Amino acid sequence: MDWKKVFAIVRREYVERVRTKAFWIGTALIPIFFLGYIGIQIAAGRRAGGERRLAVVDVTGGLYEPLAADLQHREQKNASEPGHDRGVHWVVEQRPVTGTLDATKEALRQEVLAKKIDGYLILDLAQLEKDRVEYYTASVSEFVAMNQLERSVNHVLLKERIAKRGLPPELAAELERRVDLKPFKVTKEGATEEKGASFFAVLIFTIILYSTFLMYGMQNMKGVIDEKTNRIVEVVIASVRPTELMLGKIVGIGLVGLTQYLIWSLVAMNLSLPAIAGMMATTDMGVPKIPISMIVYFLLFFVFGYFLYASIYTAIGAPFNTDQEAQQLAMIPMMFIISVWAFFPALMNNPNGGVALFVSLFPFTAPLGMFMRTAMGQPPVWQIGLSLGLIAITTFAIAWLAGRIYRVGILMYGKKPTIPEIVRWIRYKPGQAPQPAAGEAT
Amino acid sequence: MEHTIELQDVSKAFGKFQAVDRLSFRVPRGVIFGLLGPNGAGKTTSIRMIMNITAPDSGQIRVLGRPLDRETQNRIGYLPEERGLYRKMKVIDHLLFLADIKNVSRDSAKARIGEWLDKMELRPWLNKKVDELSKGMQQKVQFIATIVHDPEVLILDEVFSGLDPINAALVKEYLLDFKARGKTILFSTHVLEQAEKLCDEIVLLAKSKKVLDGNLKELKRQRAAGELRLACTASAVEVAALPGVASSVAVNGEYVVSLAPGTDRREFLRKALERYDVQAFSQREPELEEIYLSAVREAGMEETRTIE
Repeated sequence: MDWKKVFAIVRREYVERVRTKAFWIGTALIPIFFLGYIGIQIAAGRRAGGERRLAVVDVTGGLYEPLAADLQHREQKNASEPGHDRGVHWVVEQRPVTGTLDATKEALRQEVLAKKIDGYLILDLAQLEKDRVEYYTASVSEFVAMNQLERSVNHVLLKERIAKRGLPPELAAELERRVDLKPFKVTKEGATEEKGASFFAVLIFTIILYSTFLMYGMQNMKGVIDEKTNRIVEVVIASVRPTELMLGKIVGIGLVGLTQYLIWSLVAMNLSLPAIAGMMATTDMGVPKIPISMIVYFLLFFVFGYFLYASIYTAIGAPFNTDQEAQQLAMIPMMFIISVWAFFPALMNNPNGGVALFVSLFPFTAPLGMFMRTAMGQPPVWQIGLSLGLIAITTFAIAWLAGRIYRVGILMYGKKPTIPEIVRWIRYKPGQAPQPAAGEAT
Repeated sequence: MEHTIELQDVSKAFGKFQAVDRLSFRVPRGVIFGLLGPNGAGKTTSIRMIMNITAPDSGQIRVLGRPLDRETQNRIGYLPEERGLYRKMKVIDHLLFLADIKNVSRDSAKARIGEWLDKMELRPWLNKKVDELSKGMQQKVQFIATIVHDPEVLILDEVFSGLDPINAALVKEYLLDFKARGKTILFSTHVLEQAEKLCDEIVLLAKSKKVLDGNLKELKRQRAAGELRLACTASAVEVAALPGVASSVAVNGEYVVSLAPGTDRREFLRKALERYDVQAFSQREPELEEIYLSAVREAGMEETRTIE
């Protein structure tokens, strides 16, 4: 290795990429996208509000008034607490049963379809016996609104049952009291209160790791193909060894990724973090806490994972002349990276279970898998070490393979090589050029 | 005499296809050396083996007295047939990068780049991206890239292909200038007229094999084959009647005369001078293309693709 030459390659890759508009647009857009996403989530949570016109058919006769009063009471109580979700504003009206109950329902159904009302609630004795209340609406996914309604109905029914037994009405409030399960995460440093925030931090870090693997891995492939398309590669190869060129490219592109992280963290620390914290403080999640260990693991698995995927993408890019030709094979590392989301729930629910163990040790999913485990559970140190070791061994093997394909592939212009041909390239003695298959015309 | 490049029995096969077959030649120091032959004769493969981009199956290659290593690699300027530039890079950055990977210090690289940019009138384009340059200008940049580290040996694969006549003339001039400064130039071409005007030494390839090599002037002299040029007042019939004439053809107002074997040239000239007013008389040297074709014929490889 001539490190001066490797450095020259690294410098070119780095400087040329950081200079592009695409880099700065990407650096700016990704956090904006993130902030926007969080903002929309919070805004959506807060303003699941608006007005809901609800028709109530009270067959029992005595439930409508208390229900309307309770809905209004809750609304006022929410409004008086700053920062709390106000929820929806219910506009309720009572509807008598005209003709049969079914006929009434049908009439109300038409009203919903005509958008005169948003929904209707049937308080029917027969149904109440079965602990059921029917609520008809065009949008059954409004969980916040439905939750509000359900609470009110339950409260009213509870009060009514208490009154029937001749017990004091204050008892209702007493009986409705519930406890919350408050999770604490046990770590070596002690137990820290967990507010769901670290879950959020894990998610964000995982998404960043995931997208940079895809993005910068792919850039290695594109870079290799570009050099062939531009016909520059043979000029460069006359001065540096293929392995030096390969290493320089991978490192240079990786440093671009690290630079992006650095910019994000600087901006986050100075600017947007207070803003995000402010926004998130208003939700149940609270401000995410990011422990130092998470950042250390993040960088560690970024470096290991990036080298692994970059080598794979380089090997894939080397034999081909256009991105399109390489696309099919590029799906392979992509599938590995994406597959982590399929394991995400299993990792979340049981960070030390069998699935998690496999995902975090299998080298092609390990960079993301083990990172998530370190952030959520406390995997034994030997497992982290084993995972890193397996990634490193695989990376060396792939890099060796990539080097062999690269050496031959970068001088192959014109026709798209077949997989058996590429396999033959790998098997040559060092320095030898490709052997076409027996009987193949050259 | 020291040779800058030496090939000894070098062979290279791609599967069943023999790309280069037991090729040997030597390039003396300070000459322009032509590696000649039709497309597919093995020129690019030979050059890639000299550059250690492809390894030979057998045989030995020595450059500047030893097998090509990192240090000698930095003393060679190489222009491959498949050449290009990073399209998004600025001209100056690009040239500096290519100097970097030859381990040239930035200061001396800058000085030399500046000198060549002036020479080629590219100075105003210094900070433009390669993309914004015309094809002719890109070719000039590629040429500067080849010599930015002041190499002792230049290896140029099909250097004239794709060059417009003005740039081709420029490159020719630079090559002669390099030679005058004691550098060695090996270049390949399938266009023999270009080689004829430039080369001191040549090797001719056909079908992966060497058919002929040596000093071009000597080769021409050896193969002069008794043909004479005669410009005089005689008619075609009168020329044919001169002693010892086997055949004569009128070409551009003069006669190309072949003498019968054993004829004395002086005797022929004396008779011509006695009878007619002779304006010019010279031995006609064969064109490189004729030498090539006859060499191929002698080697029994007639079916070789015709020269483009």
